[in-house]
Amino acid sequence: MKRGFNPFPIVGADLRCNRLLVWVTVLLVAISVAAGIAVISQERALRQGSARAADDFDLLVGAPGSNTQLVLTSVYLRAQAIPLLDGELLAKASTAPGVKYAAPIAFGDNWQGHSIVGTIADFANRGGTLLPTEGRIFQRRGEAVVGASVALAIGATFSPAHGLHRAHDDEDAHGDPAHAAAQYTVVGRLPPRQNVWDTAILVPIEDVWRVHGLSDGHDTYAGQHIGPPWDAAHLSGVPAVAIKPDSVANAYRLRAQFRTPRSVAVFPAEVLNDLYLTLGNVRDLMSVLAITTQVLVVAAVLMALLVGFLARRRQFAVLRAIGASRLYVFCVVWIEVVLLITAGAALGVMLGWLGSNLLSHWMQSQIGFAMPVRLGATEGVLVVGLILTGAVVATLPAWLVFRRPIAEGLVSG
Amino acid sequence: MSATGDLRVRDLAVRFAGQENLLFNIAALDLPSGNSLGISGISGAGKTTLFHCLAGIARPTAGQIGWGGTDIAALPVDALCRWRHRHLGLVFQDFHLVDGLSMLDNVLLPARFDRWKPPAALRQRARDLLAAVGLSAWERLASLLSRGERQRVALARALLLQPSIVMADEPTASLDQDHRAQIGDLLLELVRAQGATLIVVTHEQELLARMDRCMRLEQGALQALPAS
Repeated sequence: MKRGFNPFPIVGADLRCNRLLVWVTVLLVAISVAAGIAVISQERALRQGSARAADDFDLLVGAPGSNTQLVLTSVYLRAQAIPLLDGELLAKASTAPGVKYAAPIAFGDNWQGHSIVGTIADFANRGGTLLPTEGRIFQRRGEAVVGASVALAIGATFSPAHGLHRAHDDEDAHGDPAHAAAQYTVVGRLPPRQNVWDTAILVPIEDVWRVHGLSDGHDTYAGQHIGPPWDAAHLSGVPAVAIKPDSVANAYRLRAQFRTPRSVAVFPAEVLNDLYLTLGNVRDLMSVLAITTQVLVVAAVLMALLVGFLARRRQFAVLRAIGASRLYVFCVVWIEVVLLITAGAALGVMLGWLGSNLLSHWMQSQIGFAMPVRLGATEGVLVVGLILTGAVVATLPAWLVFRRPIAEGLVSG
Repeated sequence: MSATGDLRVRDLAVRFAGQENLLFNIAALDLPSGNSLGISGISGAGKTTLFHCLAGIARPTAGQIGWGGTDIAALPVDALCRWRHRHLGLVFQDFHLVDGLSMLDNVLLPARFDRWKPPAALRQRARDLLAAVGLSAWERLASLLSRGERQRVALARALLLQPSIVMADEPTASLDQDHRAQIGDLLLELVRAQGATLIVVTHEQELLARMDRCMRLEQGALQALPAS
């Protein structure tokens, strides 16, 4: 009756007796897998994170120029000097059919490094879909709503500093009477959006215009009126207008309407798609590099293991001499290699996931939006492919041990 | 029908690849089951090669090696492996234990070659054998044992499956004087108690003297030595 055999006592003993080789092998495989996982998951996280950050911007209208620059500046608040859109177009967008709201996006000031963005209340609460976690949305001039990460309490007051970045000494508005005179009171805090807008301070755009000595879009200064309707004759230019269409059809119609010699209209998602195509090429290149690295590491590891097995050929010869079958010693060698590669791959997945999360955390502070790390099918294919390749390639040393004559092994040193 | 431990060798010859002369040529060698045979000879005479041939570890160039009517020189590789496992116990000069295994697991090793887990009776036999060779603390790793202890474990391992043939290649050569005598005694005592055929290749005159028959491999031929 066939009762099988048990190679695991020998496998366990070998692994215990060769701890250094085991650890070096597992770590080499783990590092190569971790690098592959990190590259692929980071590319995905960047794509998903950036796409999520653009969710609030269906259609962007700006002055003619670079579409990418318009998106990066408005969506990700990557402050750059861009040409201003004629205020008259803001008025036109606000009253165009099919528009839920048309929000000016104006920046140029900061408080302690936090961008101060002038806009309208409809944008601040995303058309009523984004309720403050504390307080309320601004309702009059001089009020501000802060993003989730801004360290300002409800009721706190502050003055803006001119510029897009915090200067070393801009604890307060420095050297500019208009900025120093302006003062905002925090009236609300928005929920976390996991993007750069969590660090922004939203104020009525009229205040931004006033601070910069521009007309505020309304025909008199008597009231505290903010937001539309605008008086086209008194509207100043804005870097961008974020339009919320009421339907997909209207989104396309509005885009066509504002593609004029005086303005550009873009779907941020479309612009990002072009970026993703470029990123995709980079990812493909990185994936090839990662896979090449893995192949080289596995080859090096197998060579090291092969040398190790050849050094232990006497042990295998003894096993066969005392009655082990060729299949038994084949299995011992094969299982040892596969175990090492599998353990390395498993550790690599953990290290890659951990490293990718740490990288995402750091990247969020650098680029302003969260990069959620999730392991996907690609990483699964990478890891399973590595293990399967290892399992196939492991048959080589196992076969060499399998076919080696016993007597030759017994007399070897 | 002959017992498995009956040895009948005819026209056994070995020539190494690329060499003109035969290493040895043994016209006939017979050993009844349960007897012991000591083989000596100078270094390079071919003792180890003869040992390997008789143990089914190496193939002769020509001839028959009949163990209990089975010509092992003609068996295919895998059948030969099964034959060794079933009928042969081997003891080496350098013990060849698995360092990462305990004493008990080293003794039980041959039982893992054809089953997942040794049955309780076999585990008990392994403990009995270790006790018989004077060892306790069975869970100690083989790497922590002295040379004498290692050879005792190797002897217990060779006897675990109650082989009808036990072969030992210089079993006392790497031991000090005290251990040589002890291991020689144990080898003879346990093998005889089991009724197995014993073949020992050794330079050790004291050990040779205790064998039923002694032969010397010299200039390619096996010559009987007078009983001491």
